[in-house]
Amino acid sequence: MRNKLLAFPPTAILLLLSISGAAYAHHGFVSWFDMGRSVTVKGTVTSFDWTNPHSYIYFDVKDEKGATQKWSAELGAVAMLARAGWRKDTLKPGDEITLIGNPAKDSKPMMHLDKIVFANGQELATAL
Amino acid sequence: MRNFLILSAMTVAAMLALSRAALAQEAAKPGAAPDISGVWLVEKFEPRLFPNGGGAPFTPWAEAKFKATDPKTNDPNLACLPMGVPRFMIAVPYPMEILQLPTRVVIIHEGPQVMRQVYMNRQHPKDLDPTYSGDAIGKWEGDTLVVDTIGFNDKTWLDGGGLPHSEALHVVERIRRVDHDTLVDDITVEDPTAYTKPLTNRQVYKLKPGWEIQEYVCEENNKYTYQGK
Repeated sequence: MRNKLLAFPPTAILLLLSISGAAYAHHGFVSWFDMGRSVTVKGTVTSFDWTNPHSYIYFDVKDEKGATQKWSAELGAVAMLARAGWRKDTLKPGDEITLIGNPAKDSKPMMHLDKIVFANGQELATAL
Repeated sequence: MRNFLILSAMTVAAMLALSRAALAQEAAKPGAAPDISGVWLVEKFEPRLFPNGGGAPFTPWAEAKFKATDPKTNDPNLACLPMGVPRFMIAVPYPMEILQLPTRVVIIHEGPQVMRQVYMNRQHPKDLDPTYSGDAIGKWEGDTLVVDTIGFNDKTWLDGGGLPHSEALHVVERIRRVDHDTLVDDITVEDPTAYTKPLTNRQVYKLKPGWEIQEYVCEENNKYTYQGK
């Protein structure tokens, strides 16, 4: 139950409204993500791409009826993530986490990650 | 006696010439110039020169080009192409390292994985072939490194918002270490083909002791598609 969806479908995921000056991505992030809004989603990690120019977290989000939606979260480059405390094995399939970030402008199940919260409450933010 | 005087005069002249050469060499040593070396990170990341979407003094030519830009499809950065200048100094939230050599100031940027070379002891060559980073020459004015760059191609954007430029682009930067931890770059962009007046911008960078420039391979897992040309 702990990974039960905090917010789903997309119209309900906009739990938090905030200005995020910290998050970034270099590939036209202003065009792809709404940097003026923040969403919080609980999910189960399916894979973690520790790559440049961006790293990605792929995760499953379930609604109250048990339906699964495939999500992805875009992060920054490996070097800046490493400086912020991330490692290639920070996440593994099956991890249950809460993801907080900026939603896609086109309402696709994607976000630009600001930080994650592990099941034990520990937080890990992206760089800058 | 006459020969002795001539010999003495020649000796003094030779010594003076040597001194001048030695002084010139000394002046070219990194230690003789202000020290701006180190790893620096932009303090406040704002990839657009005109973040509120207006106010750029476009010429009609540039306004038409700007209207055709789309950061989702034709940003050269989507293809991992070089950033150009001044975007290199503005729109990359990754660190850069400045190295000072006797004849060059070299800026290595972690993001674009492109280095800028600022040549200290020469003028711009004539008949430059246009390039992404242009030809940069520098000189010290007191504590300020003045960098003059021309010779650009027109394939880059000035910033992350799509501001276009022509091959007439001329960028002058005044780079100064205002305190031990802070570097300031005052940028002036002139391009009469694209803008009716110069554009100015100030970037502030913070020293990052202990940081090293890391590998960054933009082509590794780039999921964005470039539809420009």
